[in-house]
Amino acid sequence: MRLLLVEDDPMIGESVHLGLGQEGHAVDWVKNGEAAESALGSEAYDLMLLDLGLPRKDGLGVLGGLRARGDDLPVLILTARDAVADRVAGLDAGADDYLVKPFDLDELAARVRALGRRRAGRADPLLRHGALSLDPARNAAALGGEPVLLSAREFAILHALLERPGMPLSRAQLEQRVYSWKEEIDSNAVEVHIHALRKKLGAAWILNLRGVGYYVPKQPPAP
Amino acid sequence: MTSLRRQLLVYLLGGALLAALLAGFLTYRAVLRESDEILDYHLRQVALSLGAQRFGGDLPPLDAGEEARFDLVVRVWDESGVRLYQSHPHSDLPGFAQLGFATVAEADGGWRVFSMQTRGNVVQVAQPLAVRERLAAGMALRVLTPFLVLIPALGLLVWLAIGRGLAPLAEVAGAVARRSPGSLTPLRLARVPDELRPLVAALDGLLVRLGEALEVQKAFTADAAHELRTPLAALQLQVQLLERSRDEAERQQAVLRLKAGLQRATHMVEQLLTLARQEGAAGEFAAVDLHALAAQAVAELAPLAQAKDIDLGMAGEAGRVELSGDAAALRILLANLIGNAVRYTPQGGRVDVRVAHAAGEGVRLEVVDSGPGIPEAERQRVCDRFYRLADTEAGGSGLGLAIARRVCERHAARLSLLDGPGGRGLKVEVAFPERP
Repeated sequence: MRLLLVEDDPMIGESVHLGLGQEGHAVDWVKNGEAAESALGSEAYDLMLLDLGLPRKDGLGVLGGLRARGDDLPVLILTARDAVADRVAGLDAGADDYLVKPFDLDELAARVRALGRRRAGRADPLLRHGALSLDPARNAAALGGEPVLLSAREFAILHALLERPGMPLSRAQLEQRVYSWKEEIDSNAVEVHIHALRKKLGAAWILNLRGVGYYVPKQPPAP
Repeated sequence: MTSLRRQLLVYLLGGALLAALLAGFLTYRAVLRESDEILDYHLRQVALSLGAQRFGGDLPPLDAGEEARFDLVVRVWDESGVRLYQSHPHSDLPGFAQLGFATVAEADGGWRVFSMQTRGNVVQVAQPLAVRERLAAGMALRVLTPFLVLIPALGLLVWLAIGRGLAPLAEVAGAVARRSPGSLTPLRLARVPDELRPLVAALDGLLVRLGEALEVQKAFTADAAHELRTPLAALQLQVQLLERSRDEAERQQAVLRLKAGLQRATHMVEQLLTLARQEGAAGEFAAVDLHALAAQAVAELAPLAQAKDIDLGMAGEAGRVELSGDAAALRILLANLIGNAVRYTPQGGRVDVRVAHAAGEGVRLEVVDSGPGIPEAERQRVCDRFYRLADTEAGGSGLGLAIARRVCERHAARLSLLDGPGGRGLKVEVAFPERP
C-alpha cells in the first residue's frame, strides 16, 4: 500500500518509514502539517499515519481539512497524547484508528493491514482468488496450498492487482503503489517484477492489456 | 515557659500582687504619718489639761484593774524634781530629759513622750509607739483585703479570657490539620481575632504560593512524562528494527540508530534532572571567574564544533571576570547556551563566546552564532520547556533554554535573545546585575 507518514520526530519517522517499508508498503514521510497537505494534494494514498503535535499545522487541523474536502482516506493517528479525551477528539475528528506512543511496530503493521482491508471492503485477512491466496500479515503467497516465495516488491504488485481482479493497473499506477518518492525507479522495474511473478505463478495469472496495463483475470485460471 | 496562658497568669497576678503590696505599704506609711500628727496633738492636749490641775502627794495611781489598758502614761514633777504623780506604777520611762516632743526607745518598745512646764510643775504624757503602728497596720490591711480577695478571681477571669481568646487559634490549627495535602485553597476563616489575622493571612498566602508551585510541578511532571514518550517510542521501534534486520549491514545500521536513540533518551532524562535540580536549587553562591568557566565550556564543546567544522572560540579580552554565583549552575548555563549555538549552527559556521565586565554595568555573557537565528515571534516561547522550533533537525530535549532561564533567574540575571551581528544568526545575552 502507498502510505503517507506525517511525523516530526526524526527517529520515530525514520523507524516507521523503514519498518513499514520492510512490510512491503511504499511510505512517503513528511515532517509538518503543511507538507502533509501538499502531499495529500498531489498523490493518491491508501492510508495516512498522522502525528498530532506537528509544527506549522496541527495533526487535527490536517485531518479536519481532509474530511472537510470529503476525502475518506483512512487515517491512523500516532501520538503521545493518551488521555481519553484526546482519543475521543481524534476519532471524532475523523480518524479511523488511534495508536499511542510508544507503540509496537508489529501492532502498527497489523492496524495498517486492517485499515487496508476495510478500505478494500474485505473482512478476510487473506486475499484469495481461485487457487491463489495472499497473507498480507506475513507477506506470504500460496498457490494451491503450496507456498510461493515472493520479494516484497513482487508481493506488493501482486497484492495491488489482486485487490480488484479484472481491473488493469498501468505501469505508473503500479509504480506509485510500490515505490515511495525517494526511491529510484528503473524504467523497466515493474516489468522485471511482473516477469518474475509470471515465472513463479504461471503466465496465465497476470495478463497484459497493451497500452493499458496489467491485470489478474477475473476468472481465476485453472491450476 | 511556653504556655501563653501560664505566662500571662504569672505576669498579671504577679503584677496585681505587687500593686496590692505597694498600696498597702503606702497606706501604712501615710496612716502612720497622719496618726503622728493627730496623736501628738492629742498628747499635747492631755498635757495641757493636766497642767491646769493641782497635784498633791496623795493622788492614787490609776486602778490597775480597770485602767491598765489605757495606754497614756502621765507623770508630774514639782519644780524641785520631786515626783508628784505617776499614773502607772511601772516606771521604766526615763526621767524628763527635755521639754516638748521626744521619741524614746525602751526595752518594751518605743514611746512618744511630751513634756511641758506649767506653774512650777513638769507634766509628762507618754504613749507607746505600738499604738500608732497598730493603727497604720490595720488601715493597710483594710486596703490590702479587697486585693487579696480579687486576685484569685482575677486569675480565673484571665484564665477564661485567654481560653476564649485563643479558641480561634485551635480553630486555625484544626482547619490546617484537616487539610489534605492536595487541597491548597485558602483557609478563609469567618471570625479571626485581629492578633491572629496576620498569621492566617500569611498561612493563606503560603497556601496560595504552595498551590501555584504544586501546579507548576504537576504540569512539569505531566509534560515530562508526555515528552519522554517520544524518545521511548523511537527506542522501541529501533529495537524492533534491530530484531528484524536480515543481514549484517542492516543489523549494523539498526544498532547505530538504536545507539543514537539511547543517547537522545539519556540526554533528555539528564536535562530533565538538571532542570528539576535547578528548579529547587539553593546552591552556595561564591565568587566565581565567569571567563574561566566560559573558556572551560568552550574547551568541552570543541570536539562537537570540530566535527561540524564550526569555528568556536572566546572573543574579547582575556582576564578574570568575577561575579557572585553558583559555579555548578553557571557551568550548566554555559554548556547549554554554547551547546545550543554549536548544535543549531550549520556546518562551517562560527560561534563566539564573550565575557566582559563594562564599568558601571554588570557582568555580561554573550554567545553569538551564525546559525539560522530564532524568529522574533518565537523568542518568547523558546524558553518554555519542551518547546522546539519547527523544522529543526537537531532533536534536542527542548529543555536547554528552560534550564538556562532558570539559572539566570537564580542569579537575578536577564536572558535576552537578540539578532546576531548584521541581523544574521542569534546573539544570546546574559546580563548579570552589578554587584552592590
